[in-house]
Amino acid sequence: MTDVAAPVIAFRGVGVTYRKGPVWNRTEVPAVGAVDLEIAAGETLGLVGESGSGKTTLGRVALGLIRPSRGEFLIEGRPFDPAIRREGALSVVLQHPEWALNPRLRCGVSVAEPLTIRGDLDRQARRQRVASMLERVGLDPGFAERYPGDLSGGQRQRMAIARALITEPRFIVFDEAVSALDVSVQAQILNLIRELQAEHRFAAIFISHDLAATRYISHRIAVMLKGDIVEVAPARTFYDMPAHDYSRALYATIR
Amino acid sequence: MIALASARLGRFFRRDSLGLLGAVLLLVLLILGIFGDLLPLGDPNAIGAGPRLGAPSLAFPLGTDDLGRSYLPRVVEGIGVTFLLSAIAVIITAVIGTLLGMAAGYLHGATDHLIARIADILFAFPALLFGLLAAAVIGPGSIAAIVVISTATIPLFIRVVRSVTLSVAEREFVVAAVVSGASTWRVMLVHLLPNILGAAIIQLTYALSVSMIIESALSFLGLGVQPPAASLGSLLRLGSVYLTIAPWLVLAPGLVLAAAIMSINLLGDAIRDALDPLRGRSLK
Amino acid sequence: MTAAVDIRDFVVAYETGGGAVFALDGIDLAIGAGETLGIVGESGSGKSTLGMAIGRLLAPNARIDAGDILVAGCSVTTSDDETVRRLRRERLGFVFQNPMSALDPTMRIGRQVALAMEGTPDTAAVERLLVRAGLDEPGRVARSFPHELSGGMAQRVVIALAIARNPQILIADEPTASLDASIRDRILDLLFAMRAETGASLVILSHDLRMIVHRCERVIVMYGGRIVEMGESQAVFGSPAHPYTRALIRAAAGNEAPGEQLDPIPGVPPVLRAPSADCAFAPRCAHAAERCRRERPAERAVGGSRVACHFAEEIMAASGTAREVAE
Repeated sequence: MTDVAAPVIAFRGVGVTYRKGPVWNRTEVPAVGAVDLEIAAGETLGLVGESGSGKTTLGRVALGLIRPSRGEFLIEGRPFDPAIRREGALSVVLQHPEWALNPRLRCGVSVAEPLTIRGDLDRQARRQRVASMLERVGLDPGFAERYPGDLSGGQRQRMAIARALITEPRFIVFDEAVSALDVSVQAQILNLIRELQAEHRFAAIFISHDLAATRYISHRIAVMLKGDIVEVAPARTFYDMPAHDYSRALYATIR
Repeated sequence: MIALASARLGRFFRRDSLGLLGAVLLLVLLILGIFGDLLPLGDPNAIGAGPRLGAPSLAFPLGTDDLGRSYLPRVVEGIGVTFLLSAIAVIITAVIGTLLGMAAGYLHGATDHLIARIADILFAFPALLFGLLAAAVIGPGSIAAIVVISTATIPLFIRVVRSVTLSVAEREFVVAAVVSGASTWRVMLVHLLPNILGAAIIQLTYALSVSMIIESALSFLGLGVQPPAASLGSLLRLGSVYLTIAPWLVLAPGLVLAAAIMSINLLGDAIRDALDPLRGRSLK
Repeated sequence: MTAAVDIRDFVVAYETGGGAVFALDGIDLAIGAGETLGIVGESGSGKSTLGMAIGRLLAPNARIDAGDILVAGCSVTTSDDETVRRLRRERLGFVFQNPMSALDPTMRIGRQVALAMEGTPDTAAVERLLVRAGLDEPGRVARSFPHELSGGMAQRVVIALAIARNPQILIADEPTASLDASIRDRILDLLFAMRAETGASLVILSHDLRMIVHRCERVIVMYGGRIVEMGESQAVFGSPAHPYTRALIRAAAGNEAPGEQLDPIPGVPPVLRAPSADCAFAPRCAHAAERCRRERPAERAVGGSRVACHFAEEIMAASGTAREVAE
């Protein structure tokens, strides 16, 4: 699965340093050291590590929300260009179901938004696409007319996944996407992501503090510690015995 | 949709009788202010219609003023003028304050700094001092009053909208919209504005009551509406001269002003409570 | 084991527009002094209602249909308001899901902490308490308003408030659910450290069975407003007797072999319109038989645990002692 010629995304020596404070009194806070990673189509890379390890920062770089201070971030071999977003090439699914959707918009409008922005389909076509997408993520198409407040956490997270997939993006970031869900709903969402990836062949980063969920959904796992990746290994390794001390400590938490 | 909205409104007021009181009172005052000159109350500007400084009687329910004008139609006119000036000023405040507050909260950086500093400076500037200045430059009158009221109420409006915008902008649906390529305008209009509207409306009610106080204060000082037009403030100013011999001249506009401000605040509190997720959890 | 909290046949329903919905359907539970008890259940299982009921903090539309809760021998349901307030102040400490709504947004942290403490503490005492809650810059935190703190810091403040008077019972309802997932462990560490320091009982409500089993001595599994399984954590997790507990474990990532598919529980949790006359889990249960739809299972001893399932023994026997944990 990783033997595809061109990786969908590539980090080449990416480092991020935050600047804090006013212009005359800047302090620099390093968040990510120097990261080299490639992710192929149809592959999920798990990114685990504790709070402040830089995993969320790296995810934001991958979405073009943060520009790397050093190194290069490439999508399909080209440096990131914000215009690529309007093509619907990238998507994100985040942690909190209650904030995943704009509470003032009908769910169908939220799910259709990436298509609306891309602007290549008329209203009717968008509506049909939303209906089939909702069905695909296990929601009744009638939910498109509802507001997020009427939905449960799991249903909202499914909506967010429908929105993320509506443009058939080449790359999706899942940042703690199942952390706020009940265990049973978590399993449904994890299985859903797996199935959809098999169908759509998107590349994905699955960011989580939870090694158990991460190793279930990922093909490879990168362990981050203090801004650096200390181990990258196939997910299977994390069912057995990872190499790095810190990975082992993480591993111990789920035994 | 309308049925749903009215049903929600009905529930809202059943739970909150003070809010209902405020809404009804405000409605009565508004109707009086807007349609007052259609009512058979007499001519507010007819000099010598009755005795000078006459006490309330059947013919003149609120008495007469120093020129023998019937006071009831003058108070009613005052309600209309005060409401109108405050409303215009508050609408200006709401539009400018929402735009600037949203821009400051969402765009960060230099824009935020600039808007925040302007708001701070305006905030630090006493409204009445500014009123004197405006009256000197533009000349006293309605325009000056509107300018002063808006400048006095905008800073707080900006701050409130900015802080709400900051918290909404972190929400995940905003990040998702940006990632799918939404323009800054789209984010602000589709995602931010509808979600800060609630807070803005609450702030609007408070700004309205503050406006009425400022309007009255300006007119009281003679910097607001000019005679023969009457506002609650200018009536208070006139009445205060005769406080000892004709107290009703202060009492009537004073009570009306107090009622108006109270009703607006009650309504504002009710809206705030209705939007507050923690409402209804009673700790006994 | 003397009971810090004694809950007897407790039934709570919520009045809603569409009729009453039962959240607790006959709870019998004694919480021992100084024990750590985890209550596990999906959203809607009734666990939050149970936690709130201990402090008489139920929403206004809640109705207690039967039973009683005794905190340190004092009835929470029948005592007058002043008694209950004193109970809350002196014996109970609550940590809620969202620290931002638990704190007063208009008051500086220092003042809120001082109010929660006994008497009129000085600044140093307030800061000492904040340090105990793991806040490094107590001075700055005390001067801050809640919105100036991060979620994790705010939750530390809430924990400080909860332990301010050395309560006998700490109740934490999904204390990490609204926090950034990566700081959850540290907040839990703090909570359990504070429990150890004060010697209080800790009742922690969560949907995360693994976390509960790791951290609590005893675990209760709730479903449809009832306790379906209760016992020592290791026993319940190692050899679960109730089909629901087993389904929960199978659904959680972490117990599967590499390449194995997770098994979500089919269906959705029930909405109880009346106390259930049968087994509330039957519609989702792979082992359900005719008897389950006819007869309400009573709670009884199975192995070392207490289980409310007609077929608990058969199910345990059929699948060997325990489902192997797959590491």
